Amino acid sequence: MQYIRPTDGGRRSRLAFGFLSILIVFAALSAPVVAQDVVADTPADTTAVSHVPAPATSVVVDDYKYDFGDRLNLSWVPSIDDQIGERMVLGYIVYRSINGGEFKPLESLLPGASSFEDKDLHADSSYVYYVAAFSETDTVPSIHTQAHQPEREFIHFDLLWLFVIAALISFSVIYFIWMARAGKDLFVRKIAGLDAVDDAIGRATEMGRPILFIPGIQDMDDVQTIAGLTILGRVAKQIADYDTRIRMPVSRSLVMTAARETIKAAYQIAGRPDAYSDDMVNYVTDEQFGYVAAVDGIMVRERPATIFLLGAFFAESLILAETGNSVGAIQIAGTARPAQLPFFIAACDFTLIGEELFAASAYLSGEPKQLGSLKGQDVGKGIAMAVILIGVISVTLGKAFDIEIFNWIADALSTVFSKAGGS
Amino acid sequence: MKRQVPLLITFFVGTLLIVSIFSPATENLGEEFSVFFDVIAVFAFFLGGGNLLRVHLTKISRKREDWVYSVVTLVGFIVMLWAGLFKIGNEGGIAASVTEESSLFGMVFYSVLIPLQSTMYSLLAFFIASASYRAFRAKNREATILLVAAFIILLGRTAFGTMLTSWMPPSLSLAEIPNLAIWIMNSPNLAGQRAIMIGIGLGVVSMSLRIILGVERTYLGDDGK
Amino acid sequence: MFWEHFAVWVAAFLTLGIYSFLYKDNPWYKLCESIFVGISAGYWFVTLFWDNIYGKFWVGVFPPTHVNELGESVRTAQPDYWLLVGAVLGLLMLLRLVPKIGWLSRWSLAFIVGATAGFYLINYFSSNVMRQVQDTIMPLFGSGFDASAYVIIGNIVVAVGTFTGLIYFFFSKEHRGAFGFSAKVGIFFLMVTFGASFGYTVMSRMSLLIGRIDFLLSDWLGLIR
Repeated sequence: MQYIRPTDGGRRSRLAFGFLSILIVFAALSAPVVAQDVVADTPADTTAVSHVPAPATSVVVDDYKYDFGDRLNLSWVPSIDDQIGERMVLGYIVYRSINGGEFKPLESLLPGASSFEDKDLHADSSYVYYVAAFSETDTVPSIHTQAHQPEREFIHFDLLWLFVIAALISFSVIYFIWMARAGKDLFVRKIAGLDAVDDAIGRATEMGRPILFIPGIQDMDDVQTIAGLTILGRVAKQIADYDTRIRMPVSRSLVMTAARETIKAAYQIAGRPDAYSDDMVNYVTDEQFGYVAAVDGIMVRERPATIFLLGAFFAESLILAETGNSVGAIQIAGTARPAQLPFFIAACDFTLIGEELFAASAYLSGEPKQLGSLKGQDVGKGIAMAVILIGVISVTLGKAFDIEIFNWIADALSTVFSKAGGS
Repeated sequence: MKRQVPLLITFFVGTLLIVSIFSPATENLGEEFSVFFDVIAVFAFFLGGGNLLRVHLTKISRKREDWVYSVVTLVGFIVMLWAGLFKIGNEGGIAASVTEESSLFGMVFYSVLIPLQSTMYSLLAFFIASASYRAFRAKNREATILLVAAFIILLGRTAFGTMLTSWMPPSLSLAEIPNLAIWIMNSPNLAGQRAIMIGIGLGVVSMSLRIILGVERTYLGDDGK
Repeated sequence: MFWEHFAVWVAAFLTLGIYSFLYKDNPWYKLCESIFVGISAGYWFVTLFWDNIYGKFWVGVFPPTHVNELGESVRTAQPDYWLLVGAVLGLLMLLRLVPKIGWLSRWSLAFIVGATAGFYLINYFSSNVMRQVQDTIMPLFGSGFDASAYVIIGNIVVAVGTFTGLIYFFFSKEHRGAFGFSAKVGIFFLMVTFGASFGYTVMSRMSLLIGRIDFLLSDWLGLIR
């Protein structure tokens, strides 16, 4: 991720560009008149007009804020012969010299280009650049820049407010976990989809049919898969208690490994380690629709009584949910992919919407410290709602009636909440 | 050792990655680690692929129901491994792209895998029809709202939707179905999306902290008690 | 020519086999399913092997060399020995195959989960919370009172919808009274959002089916030219 912010150098150079741009506009306005005069005087001899383009001007090199001394920003004012409609300039070539060495071409850019970001540099080297504008027949270099050494920065001050607010919300989560540990009673409302888990497992037990658990189609590097597996930990314990059969085909090898660890532990906690078998979880294929074809087959052949679809789902969500529905299974689904939620809502009995998926494991555990974390994330929601309320009122009143204090509040909130907010 | 070391690793790596984003010196650590993940995932495939072989070989050896299909799966799996790892029939040799059309691997990919993928994907047309029918029959308020919104958006994307309200006077043009569909997408839909996204963001923060702090450890085969 | 015809017939056979599942499970579908699973599992392993183990790990640790103008053999890049950490973690994962020390694989798992939790904590917070809150702060009436009634209503809907949508996700308060009413308004917006997504997707799913029917009628049967 890169967070780009204009530097002081950038502002200074923009002022210089502004001034130069005015000069260039004057020059550009006068240039055709001169050319017409020439043509009018010597109508038969148009080839006498020079085709050598004007060079790029004001070539400036700036340090890139905030980087680890590996980038420089190069900017320039394009040649006056590089204008939409009559482009004599066909492009620019950036040349670079390292530590006073020979200039070598670095990058070829399209006409209209006015900046270039040079990456993978060394903080202990010095760089000089020039930009050459080229036409069909000629190449015209600009003057050289000053030698510049990239500077190292160690802290991303651009991200100060992101840090402060993330820290605030993280501390509120930790605070409530700590409060709950200390014995404070914390209320968490009922979540219908999660209250149904117990009944859904009981149903499978009564019917003597298996429970199918699908943790999505992503790997362990997706937070939704991890959320699905944390729920599996809670569900598997109940399954072990009820002595029901669980079936878990997965589409990733790492998920298979993690799911086996999870279920094995759940059976140990339930005091039935002998009932656990690695065969409860099996790898099918990494391929999205190959996996779906196999899971659909399992659904219609083994007719599970209960199906959990909890994790990251893509287009396959509806195929799985509709097939599960057609075999009469109770389905509890959840994902943080908004585009797939409507299909789960249409085809499943209960759907955990976005945030509820991440809260499910904590809720199902019933442990105070886990529930405390849900309180902490509510503080985050409270902050978001307060900022939206204050922000919308301030910016509306500020813009409508031009009241300074409201404009100031709105600007301040906007700065703080902007990802690249100011320091 | 068995319990504490993994928790320490999770804590250390998780904290490191949070902090790393705030320093230009370490901001690319997440990308570096994602390459580690890619390498680990391939090693893990030996476990997954091994499991695939074991499941189907067991089925075949015990002559369980439908064991013949296990033979098909195994043959397909092994042929692809052989064709792809040794780049059989690849005109460019071992250095060329593995999916080069002339190779055996490429041929199977284009003539078997691609049609299977597209067909399985296209099943969605049937399932979306059955899901719509179910939503249509649902009697509760939420399902009705969902259905009405879906219907307007669907019509708004078709010529039929435009035709339906084309008789309306220009003063009421905002109520024409295509415009109504645009308004729904840009206003109430946007609001709902935002609420969901903000909730997800906070949910991830809370769950990640539970994991990093070792409060949530079921995935490591540990209930934390 | 023969192979091209053969490939079309294979694709048609597989397409119809998958569609036969819509009627009911049958041997034809089972055959297609087993082909799909076997071939795709092999395909993925081969792709992961060439992309990750060879492309990222091997080339990263042992960068290829080329001969320069002086006839010297030089590396195209510096070796990245950090990648060996990934390989060690991958090998630890394989220790699951050795029952006595299989618990060491948890170290790799702990690394992956910790890295994922840490990386996404700030990422999601930044893109889902900070960004969305910032985008919601907007003047309801435009700059001055220059916005049209259409825009004003849209702006109010976005602000109210996002606010009440968040109320729905509150866990620490029962949905009763005014709070409960606000949560219900929030559900309304969420349902409109889901309906909009649903309606928006229908047509694209239909086009997938049309694509396969087109293949069957033109490429296979040659009925449409």
